[in-house]
Amino acid sequence: MPTFVYMTNCDGCGYCVDICPSDIMHIDPTYRRAYNVEPNMCWECYSCVKACPQQAIDCRGYADFAPLGHSVRVLREEEKATVSWRIKFRDGREKNFVSPIRTTPWGSIKGPSAYAPPSAAALASQELAHEPEALKVDSLPQLARNRLKKGLV
Amino acid sequence: MHNPFAALSASVPPMAMQVYVAVMFLLVVGGTLIDLAHKGSAKYFFRRREIVSFGATRRVGAGEAAALAAETLVVTVLAAGEFCGVWRRITHLLTMYGFILYVVTTAVMVFAYPTAAAPGPAIVPELWYLGAVLVCVGGYWYWLLQRVDVAAEGRSPLRLVRADLFILSLLASATFALAWARVQAAGNELWGHVFFGLYALSSTVLFASVPWSKFAHMFYKPAAALQKRIEQANGFRANLPPPADHPASFGSARRQPNNY
Amino acid sequence: MSRKTVFVDSDILVVGGGMGGCGATYESRYWGRDLKIVCVEKANIERSGAVAQGLYAINCYMGMHWNENQPEDHVRYARNDLMGLVREDLGYDIARHVDATVHKFEEWGLPIMKDPKTGRYQREGKWQIMIHGESYKPLVAEAARKAASAVYNRIMVTHLLMDSKRPNRVAGAVGFNVRNGDFYVFRAKAVIVAAGGASHIFKPRAVGEGMGRTWYAPWSSASAYALPILAGAKMTQMENRIVLTRFKDGYGPVGAYFLHLKTYTQNAYGQDYEAFWRDSIEKMVGDYVNHHPVPTCLRNHALLEEVKAGRGPIRMVTKEAFKDPHKETIGWENFLGMTIGQAVVWASQNIDPKEINPELTTSEPYVMGSHATCSGAWASGPEDYAPAEYQWGYNRMMTVEGLFGAGDTIGGTAHKFSSGSFTEGRIAAKAAVRYVMERSNDRPEVSETEYARLKKVIYQPLENYRIGRNEIVAGTVSPSYLLPLHGLQRLEKIMDEYVGGISAHYTTNQPLLTRGLELLAMLKEDLAYLGAEDLHQLQRAWELQHRVLASECVTQHTLFRQETRWPGYYYRADHPRLDDQDWHCFTLSRYDRDSGRWEMEKAPVYHIID
Repeated sequence: MPTFVYMTNCDGCGYCVDICPSDIMHIDPTYRRAYNVEPNMCWECYSCVKACPQQAIDCRGYADFAPLGHSVRVLREEEKATVSWRIKFRDGREKNFVSPIRTTPWGSIKGPSAYAPPSAAALASQELAHEPEALKVDSLPQLARNRLKKGLV
Repeated sequence: MHNPFAALSASVPPMAMQVYVAVMFLLVVGGTLIDLAHKGSAKYFFRRREIVSFGATRRVGAGEAAALAAETLVVTVLAAGEFCGVWRRITHLLTMYGFILYVVTTAVMVFAYPTAAAPGPAIVPELWYLGAVLVCVGGYWYWLLQRVDVAAEGRSPLRLVRADLFILSLLASATFALAWARVQAAGNELWGHVFFGLYALSSTVLFASVPWSKFAHMFYKPAAALQKRIEQANGFRANLPPPADHPASFGSARRQPNNY
Repeated sequence: MSRKTVFVDSDILVVGGGMGGCGATYESRYWGRDLKIVCVEKANIERSGAVAQGLYAINCYMGMHWNENQPEDHVRYARNDLMGLVREDLGYDIARHVDATVHKFEEWGLPIMKDPKTGRYQREGKWQIMIHGESYKPLVAEAARKAASAVYNRIMVTHLLMDSKRPNRVAGAVGFNVRNGDFYVFRAKAVIVAAGGASHIFKPRAVGEGMGRTWYAPWSSASAYALPILAGAKMTQMENRIVLTRFKDGYGPVGAYFLHLKTYTQNAYGQDYEAFWRDSIEKMVGDYVNHHPVPTCLRNHALLEEVKAGRGPIRMVTKEAFKDPHKETIGWENFLGMTIGQAVVWASQNIDPKEINPELTTSEPYVMGSHATCSGAWASGPEDYAPAEYQWGYNRMMTVEGLFGAGDTIGGTAHKFSSGSFTEGRIAAKAAVRYVMERSNDRPEVSETEYARLKKVIYQPLENYRIGRNEIVAGTVSPSYLLPLHGLQRLEKIMDEYVGGISAHYTTNQPLLTRGLELLAMLKEDLAYLGAEDLHQLQRAWELQHRVLASECVTQHTLFRQETRWPGYYYRADHPRLDDQDWHCFTLSRYDRDSGRWEMEKAPVYHIID
């Protein structure tokens, strides 16, 4: 479902231009507002829809196979860490869903430098960062060479 | 500060100035109406109201609608509340209030004090200068740095497209107005005429190009903002889901678009 | 027009900011506290890559601490699904580390569903756990941003740079800024390629707006392959393209449906058709048909044969399952968290799975390395147990020195998915840090002649358009330049008709492949005449260049493997059976960019797990 932008709601902030993974949200030269320049490269990932602070972006199913009259709209609320969806069928049926999107505050990830620097022995080992603790088993599984099955070629 | 229109009356009769101002006003009104009629945007607006009324879950009474209109006036129009970026909001307010000041004081000088004999109190041209300066500060800042095609798309600030017609003609008008007034006050007749000519030309382009520029959006945007408020109130919400039922707790990760 | 050149120096350059790239960036910093780590991405790492819209499941998680699976089990599973041909050393390596990655994701804030009875992660199937992953990508991007010295968004890397002092060693990369057009020269001691696999190399089923609804992201433009290929790295299993059975038109995922909702397929007459084809499959592949679970390609094959026999459309039986409101919620949220487009298709066609059993279809082929398929670069394995032939120094280093890979980029490692790709990024990063530290005074040098030449090459499409545009009045038809979309559609038609796309029922043979190579050769020549109107089109032009080179590699591999190893993915009509005698091996290729020739060879498959 390629995206489109509502004329009256877009105020030309550029968030959609910045976020689109396909580089297809650009600025119209007559109105200086956003629009989808290449709908046949739109994956309907809804990144632009979610990023728009004015809810000015919506989706219309691909013309190849989606009849008109449907609506799938989203409200992603970062402060509440939720995403809400409203689906409306062409025949008017409606379905609503709400899901969590994160269990910790935004920006709260502990960066790798915040951990104690690894020892030389750790660097030489096969363990990755935070192992073996993060594996929640005693040690990193290994395969002993003398127990490898000599397989067929 | 001197009243430049009073000095101008030596070469241009006050009646001509007044007719010009009146014609510019009519061009704005007329231009907006032509734009509406040509695009059928009023029809679209009313068709949408019908669709909304089918999807609405409650009725919005006259009193409530009036309150929403008042809110739109104060928040959207007077405080530029639609802008989600704080710096674009600031430049918009500078430009908007500067323009209002500049236009109102122009009308005052042209209609009430157009003669050298009675140039009027000094405060009027002072506010006129202030208005034009605010337009330039807000306008050039916006045009060179903040325009989304420059800030988010990485285009050159010198690239010109049709969307620039309004802001550039506005900036030209204000800039040439200031240049004209300064040069005239210094007594340079030739340059005074040159800048006046450019000022008149750019102002005419500004007001006459309404059917092709973004000028008329100053009327459409508040109308759309009111429409949005009414749709929130009557439950239509444009098919959007309602806000989720969770407390605000995690803060926002939203960042401004990268500048390139 | 003179363009600004920006030099970016780093110790480790991570090309691609997807799951693999974010994992590599994070881990590089952990081991290299004082190193300069740079990540470069053609879009914005916040939502770039295949996980842009989110995921509803993590499909690679052992659950070792709950005794759910051990790494060996995963190797057996992947080997079985790929009809015996996987790099068991690389697969075991990912499987033994992936649990730690997933536990960190949970710690960072990824909502993982829990089984209410046991408190463990809610299993969707043996290998899959269910997540609320709408913000999966922003989450790992945050971790990467906290690790990198710098993240460069909107810079497309077009070529790797080789060391001018030593042959066969990488020295950096070049690319351009998609927003302002600046030329970028990245100089690095080690490069980790974690770019996207190949969508849009075969003609898709929808050709208008619907072209955008590919199963794999349309921005996966085969840079994972083209960059190493041009650097002379050996590639493996590039013939192993994947075809997916998914919901019609939207290509929405079926995993949760099969595994959690326990739905099943039937033909248009309500019959369980897979049984009809068991015997004929056995004639093609022998005992593999008896393996459990049935390999993905064989299930595809049964569906394809059924449709060819005229008993389609094939439907997923959902009416029973969807009566349960919990399952109905899962069924829809499965799409909303991962493939929103499928929800839109059903809403537009009034398809409610409570009342209608939705149609399934097989997709056009894709070439990538992280799913039920394993195309990619040939890489060195872990030092502690990899067989000698699979190990030449550093883990995940390709056959080019200093060039590492992760995610789609690395071949032979099937079924790693998002968590496995992130984990592979971590593995490659640690190896790259050690590589850099062990060469503290031995910095490769880029060649100014080389990058000056590439600068001209990179911007040539803009020049072609600008000059060529003078010839015509208007429109898209020009005799002297090709628009990127024109080149893409031509490529997709060639691959579709000659290399086993949908219009050929995924079937090809030696004469078709030979003709396909001829047409690809002409297309490659025409790439010199691509015309790009602006920087966005220039990005499309380079995506096409990468796709064409990868497609050529795919075609060479398909020609080289003289058997049908994965019926249901593709068929060699002239070698219709599986041949464990001669072809129980990997195919390797190496491209010589000066002569344009491909050297093909076989490599042994060591089954180190029983």
